[in-house]
Amino acid sequence: MTTASEAVALQLEAVDDEGRPPSARRAVLASWEGRIGLVLGLLVVLVIAFGRFFTPYPPNEPNVGPPTSLPSGSHLLGTDDLSRDILSRVLVGGTVIIIVPLIAVSLAWLIGGTLGMLAAYRGGRTDALITRVYDLLMSLPPLLIVLVAIAALGTSSVVLVLTIMFVYLPRMGRLVRGATQGVITSEYVAAAQARGERTATILFREILPNIMAPTTADFALRITYAVIFVATLNFLGLGVQPPRADWGVMVAQGRGYITLNPWATLAPAAMIALLSIALNLIADALTQHVTRGRQEIVQL
Amino acid sequence: MRSDTVLEVSDLAVGYLRHDGSTNQVVSGVSFRLERGAILGLAGESGCGKSTSALAAIGYRPLGSRIIGGRSLLGDLDLLALPSSKLRDIWGSRIAYVAQSAALALNPALTVGHQLAQPLAIHLGLRGAKSRARQLELLEAMGLPDPPRALRRYPFQFSGGQQQRIALALALSCKPDVLVLDEPTTGLDVTTQARITELLRAIVRELGVGCLYVSHDLSLLGTLADRLAVMYAGEIVESGPALSVATNQRHPYTQALLAAVPSIRRPRVLVGIPGRPPVSVVHDSCAYVPRCPYAQPACVEAHPELRDPGDGHLARCVRLEEVERQPSPGHELARAHRKPDVLLSVHDVHCAYGRNEVVKGVSLDVRRAERVGIVGESGSGKSTLLRAIAGLHRPSAGSICLRGAELAPVAVKRPRSVRREIQLVFQNPDSSLNPRHTIFDIVVRPIRLFRDDVPRAGERAVVQELLDSVKLPTGLLYRYPAELSGGQRQRVALARAFAAQPTVLLCDEVTSALDVSVQATILELIAELSEQTETAVIWVSHDLAVVRTIADRALVMREGEVCEEGTTDELFAAAKHAYTQQLLAAIPELQPPAAVAEL
Repeated sequence: MTTASEAVALQLEAVDDEGRPPSARRAVLASWEGRIGLVLGLLVVLVIAFGRFFTPYPPNEPNVGPPTSLPSGSHLLGTDDLSRDILSRVLVGGTVIIIVPLIAVSLAWLIGGTLGMLAAYRGGRTDALITRVYDLLMSLPPLLIVLVAIAALGTSSVVLVLTIMFVYLPRMGRLVRGATQGVITSEYVAAAQARGERTATILFREILPNIMAPTTADFALRITYAVIFVATLNFLGLGVQPPRADWGVMVAQGRGYITLNPWATLAPAAMIALLSIALNLIADALTQHVTRGRQEIVQL
Repeated sequence: MRSDTVLEVSDLAVGYLRHDGSTNQVVSGVSFRLERGAILGLAGESGCGKSTSALAAIGYRPLGSRIIGGRSLLGDLDLLALPSSKLRDIWGSRIAYVAQSAALALNPALTVGHQLAQPLAIHLGLRGAKSRARQLELLEAMGLPDPPRALRRYPFQFSGGQQQRIALALALSCKPDVLVLDEPTTGLDVTTQARITELLRAIVRELGVGCLYVSHDLSLLGTLADRLAVMYAGEIVESGPALSVATNQRHPYTQALLAAVPSIRRPRVLVGIPGRPPVSVVHDSCAYVPRCPYAQPACVEAHPELRDPGDGHLARCVRLEEVERQPSPGHELARAHRKPDVLLSVHDVHCAYGRNEVVKGVSLDVRRAERVGIVGESGSGKSTLLRAIAGLHRPSAGSICLRGAELAPVAVKRPRSVRREIQLVFQNPDSSLNPRHTIFDIVVRPIRLFRDDVPRAGERAVVQELLDSVKLPTGLLYRYPAELSGGQRQRVALARAFAAQPTVLLCDEVTSALDVSVQATILELIAELSEQTETAVIWVSHDLAVVRTIADRALVMREGEVCEEGTTDELFAAAKHAYTQQLLAAIPELQPPAAVAEL
């Protein structure tokens, strides 16, 4: 039960501070999803970045111990069929799987997203052209694009990045276009047009912050897909070539002797899973940050 | 209980659950009675608990709300003690409810006939030919043209007013005893509103239903209702016969609320209510004290009770006898000092959406520091005309000149100085302020674009000065729009417009989304700022009284054409065009008995 004067005092109190709004970084740190995601993500990144310096054995060196042995004191995760040390291979096997999806999806997001925003904002012929190109790209099965590209250009990280970019570009572009369409009817866009702002300013200053929620979530999700996609390609032998260590390749090869040493499959699979979970948790925290606000009305 | 009482609500108290499990009480001690064939008006600003009370009275509990106490007797049944399963039999048959937006209340995927058939089958067991006969009878009673055809059509094929008639037909289909209407005509044009309220009054008398009409519009309720109750902070602060409450206010809040309503008979006189209502029920003092000009020490010592001086017109005020004798407050708005030179000149402008021409040759001259109103109903082309002036809509023919220089049809092609001089304020600040930008970012943008005199380091001071000039409290600089109230947001939009130091301010229904008391403060502000800065204002609105209050000169638009134009004094005193007369007649206008005799 509040008295009138108390109620007024309470309402005034709420606007006393003049602090800057919480940044995205602080918002991620403030939620438990963000914290767990960051800790897990950091763990995986540390393994990928510095793991190579802590390998107990040379990762590609065969016959460092008994073949397909279970974990032991000298081989903490056991060995594979060529008697290579699994722990050493896990520590170095993450480079491609994080770098390729990250670059590919970022490029797809930048190019596809910008074109998607432009399509929605301009409408008419621009929209028709961009959307038809997206439809065309989407009509091709992802694996087919990769197979053709690799058959024509060979396997290299650049080819992998570009093909994965083309797989995700239309999908991300479509989503951004849809999100933009929901926003461009807002009067703040009309207000910007009346001020005579340039198209780029309207797209990136007025529209982009308002479609960040769905696109950030989509970005993180696509990275997860791309990680799995790269793992799949490596698993199929289309990406990283043996004997180089890679989590995807390791899962593929380890399944042959999964009953003899399950850790040869489980350890790299767990790393892929950890990375995906971390990315998703961070995406969740970011989504919550960009969609917050509505509840806390300043009463005056 | 008297025989003609259909619903008796006593001591109703409602609260909402907070996140921490405690209850925020929003309605306290509300009692009223609905009688057959009579309309009870429940008035108040948004957040005063009127809709919550109306819904709680018929036993409806929205998610998160708790009925703390009270009774609501429908005959011998206490609605508040009944389980939802029992209530469902009563709702729709004995109690009907009409929501604000008929467009949302009607199912867009079902024909009108299908929707009307449902309650008839469920509650009355009518099917086939009998049901159809009743449906036709209902639509006919609601004055819908061609009922047999209407039954086969879908809700979206009707206009807003017709949709509300269908919603009303649906509500009355089972001959209810109680009819609850929640802002049923808000958002409709004045002429449509007048037709619906007229119909409603006839139906209520004829069918003998007890009607509760919730509205923020005191002048509408004053003319429509038989009895009137005014709510503030979850309590009834004044109640009595409608005419008595409307002409002889005994509570300072009702008095202030009426003074905030723009009237076509009191040109330019208006006063807003400072501050905001409390968010929950106040128990140990008078809830209105912080905003009350009559407050005394006695007002904070105890919570006043509803008091009846002997004529059935109650008020919750210790000084009601004095308040009643005080003249209604109000002062004249700052007057525009129009200069002789023509600033903006619109010549024979045509605008179209595809093949559909919505502005058909409008010409208009605006002089420096003049305030011009453009009045019209929805679809009259008034907003499109404004967008064409702002460079947001390319006219299909005609010219727009600023100081004699013809303007490019789209804003980007116009020189920077022109874009600075013409500023636009939109109807809905929810949509016109980017929700992801802070108030500082929003207001600083035009300064960066148009004001070379402000150095980067001085921006913050200039923005703060602008926020002060629109009377926003300090400390909002880095807030987001969602953290502000509707009135505050519209002030931010105004600050952004004035940041560019315009010479023409285009206002598109700027106050129509706001409460009357907030509208009054915004009108005061615009009058003051435009007078100080010698800015010309083009004010587009469907509300004639608002235009009468703010503008010196007005144009009446209908179907894309100007049908009458003149100074507001002439136009409203002696309208020549039939359409203007019709618009004027449709406005529910409260007037003291003396004024009625005068006319």
